[in-house]
Amino acid sequence: MSDIITPTEDALVEVPPPARGGGTLRYVLTKIGGGLVSLALVIVLGFLLFRVLPGDVVQSMFRGRPATPELMAEAEARLGLNKPLYEQFLDYLWRLLHGDLGESYVFNVPVTDKILERLWPTVLLVGVATLIAVGLGLWLGTRSAWRRGSRFDRISTGVALTLWSTPTFWLGMLLLAATSGLFPTAGLVYSDTPPDFLSQALDVAHHMVLPTVTLVAVIYAQYQLVMRSSLLEEMDADYLTTARAKGLRDDQVRRRHAVPNALLPTVTLVFLHLGMVIAGAVTTETVFSWPGLGLLTYDALRVRDLPLLQGTIVVLAGAVIIMNVLADVLYRVLDPRVRAS
Amino acid sequence: MNHPLLALRDLTVRYTGRTREVAAVRGVDLTLQAGETLGLAGESGCGKSTLAMSVLRLLPASASIGGQILLDGEDVSTMKWGRLRAVRWTTASVVFQGAMHALNPVRRVRDQIAEPIVLHAPSPPAAAALRKRVDALLAQVELPAVKGDAFPHELSGGQKQRVMIAMALACDPRLVIADEPTTALDVIVQAQVLELMTRLVAEQDIGLVMISHDLAVLASTCQRLAVMYEGEIVEQGESRAVIADPRHEHTRALAAAFPTVGDPVYRYAPATSNELGLPDPPPATESPGEPLLAARDVRVTFTGRGRALTHAVAGVDLDVRAGEIVALVGQSGSGKTTLARTILGLQHLTGGRISFDGAELPTSAKGLRAYRRRVQLVLQDPTSALNPRHSVYESVAEGLRIHRVAGDEREHVAAALEAAELRPPEEFMPLLPHQLSGGQRQRVVIAGALALRPQLLVADEPVASLDASVRGEILALLLRLRARLGLAALVITHDLGLAWNIADRVAVMYQGELVEVGSVDEVLAHPHHDYTKSLLAALPTTG
Repeated sequence: MSDIITPTEDALVEVPPPARGGGTLRYVLTKIGGGLVSLALVIVLGFLLFRVLPGDVVQSMFRGRPATPELMAEAEARLGLNKPLYEQFLDYLWRLLHGDLGESYVFNVPVTDKILERLWPTVLLVGVATLIAVGLGLWLGTRSAWRRGSRFDRISTGVALTLWSTPTFWLGMLLLAATSGLFPTAGLVYSDTPPDFLSQALDVAHHMVLPTVTLVAVIYAQYQLVMRSSLLEEMDADYLTTARAKGLRDDQVRRRHAVPNALLPTVTLVFLHLGMVIAGAVTTETVFSWPGLGLLTYDALRVRDLPLLQGTIVVLAGAVIIMNVLADVLYRVLDPRVRAS
Repeated sequence: MNHPLLALRDLTVRYTGRTREVAAVRGVDLTLQAGETLGLAGESGCGKSTLAMSVLRLLPASASIGGQILLDGEDVSTMKWGRLRAVRWTTASVVFQGAMHALNPVRRVRDQIAEPIVLHAPSPPAAAALRKRVDALLAQVELPAVKGDAFPHELSGGQKQRVMIAMALACDPRLVIADEPTTALDVIVQAQVLELMTRLVAEQDIGLVMISHDLAVLASTCQRLAVMYEGEIVEQGESRAVIADPRHEHTRALAAAFPTVGDPVYRYAPATSNELGLPDPPPATESPGEPLLAARDVRVTFTGRGRALTHAVAGVDLDVRAGEIVALVGQSGSGKTTLARTILGLQHLTGGRISFDGAELPTSAKGLRAYRRRVQLVLQDPTSALNPRHSVYESVAEGLRIHRVAGDEREHVAAALEAAELRPPEEFMPLLPHQLSGGQRQRVVIAGALALRPQLLVADEPVASLDASVRGEILALLLRLRARLGLAALVITHDLGLAWNIADRVAVMYQGELVEVGSVDEVLAHPHHDYTKSLLAALPTTG
């Protein structure tokens, strides 16, 4: 053994991969910059999209009421719709920069007020539903991947796929019919609920059950399927054999080694899918008349309330973009390999 | 203590597949006394890894064990799960192959080393004591304590393997099983890791079972050798005796596959049992002709973050003449792959120039396409180099189609397969890569290159991923191709034995420069540069 000569020259020592990273701030700023660019595109698209929609805005404002050409021209001038498109756009941009989304045609109140009023029911509904769906999805996905091909796996994956493919509105109406009388069918609170906090909260919770169940049923499947497949990819990893060889119990191997690695792709997807959740919320809110942003968007679209539509689109798209930026940043925190590159 | 540390009695391991049952290990008897070292040699698929993993019952659920596995007198195959978990890592631990994958990528190595200590401690150890223990383990494997806070990807291959060794020693085991511990490492790092492991095992009186396909590595580390073939142990004995006088033909094949550098027997003679035999060594010519490929003062510089410049190739002069085989030797990170990419026109030159057949290396897309027809690349791993969904025919014909080679495509493909000695070609054409053996796949890759009738083959570690017995066959093929077609080859390798086996000249690359260039006989027999000397010294030798 003595004839293995270890080279003593320092220069022969193997060089570890170069230490990189350190630019965390730069990374975050780049991601935020990217987000802002996306937001700008959404603002432009949102403006143009609703202006190429067929149908006349002013006409739909009067909704069948007798309107003389003078009245209509006056309304058009008041709303600035008679100006050239680029002037309308510049106006819109200028006001947007000042936090002014314009005034709703229909409600005759500032769009920002209307959105702020409708924001929290949506945050409540989407937030609670997402938390439940993520928890449920990750738990089911982990279990079914770890016991791949078992009866649990087959049944839970089948159920998830079925619910995922179910149209949201249909599921909502089915639930309404099936539980008729047990839960309120519309709104946020009953008008005759006492104004104290506890009664109000309980009533909101009561109203929330059906929309939440609907939303969870529709969205949890993707979390389960993503978690299942990313855990399956880790199942054959060598470091799991190392962990077993160390004498870890099966559940310790799963909890300490497999799941943290499988979570990496899942976390990103959870955040990316929030966009779809919000889309799902529009339908759910409409079915259950839940007074949130989704219902507001739906109403605005129905009556062609352009400022309101633009406002809700900016807010919804902004939420999705913020979530994407968060996903990128979070991924970097979770995965040391991304941190370095 | 009168029972051996490890005793395998008529051990059989069967894998139950969907359609059939495969016996991976068939009736193996093996004994290891405390403190002894045993090398287990064999090709991939011979069952050596299955045998090793069965000691801690780390086999997949489809495996069934027959016979006895007595670890320190207790039968592992009948242990209860709780007892088995307690034995794992405390009585026997494992140094896994490919530390890159055997370490959890998202956890710091300190925590991974500490994990079994905490797990097997009767009461949870104090944080400070645990830290001290891990630091001590890291010091044992000659790593500074700060490396404990690194993530696996921040360490080099050798450092990762050291972490694996530190981890294996964490619970003071009596037996360490090392599964190909140095396969992915460079010669010099391999020597360092082997030396370290041998020393630690001897100091702490640990029994060692080391698995490798490389007899020389085993012989330099282990007292005894056992050679496995198709699930059985075909030869067993003192390392020195087995190497010096192999009884079984498989042992002889394994021994021949890793030639002794400097031994004239192996010069221009890779191990082959092909009936085509080996061509005569080329006549020594005093007046070499014009170089086919000429690189002059080639420089490639990468700009990293923070404007740091990396001189991957720092002024290299290299000639390859027609019909000549040149080996480009160096450690990983020496710049040899960058140089090869530059020669293929895949990497821009920072400085210097490259000419081929008297003309400057083209830079236009069209010129490069014509150039690449004459200079073809053979990659290291044929499994990933071939599209798994393309038949052999498609894989070989693709180059012909890209270059719009005139003539009958089928004839060209048949000729290329014939040249790569896949006979009869018609039988191979419809097959998919997974239906071929490793050696056949590499032949398909070579056929794909040959189809374009190149003048120069650039081969990046052409046999590194192949089994020992196949290695010699592919090298012999390169020699025959040179003899028959006058094909020149630039072979990039870290394997000095390969250079000794087939190359006419060798160029030793170190930190972006060629430190020594000359005929193989001169350079490898009488090295001048210190780096070449340490490369040669790092080769494992029987001792």
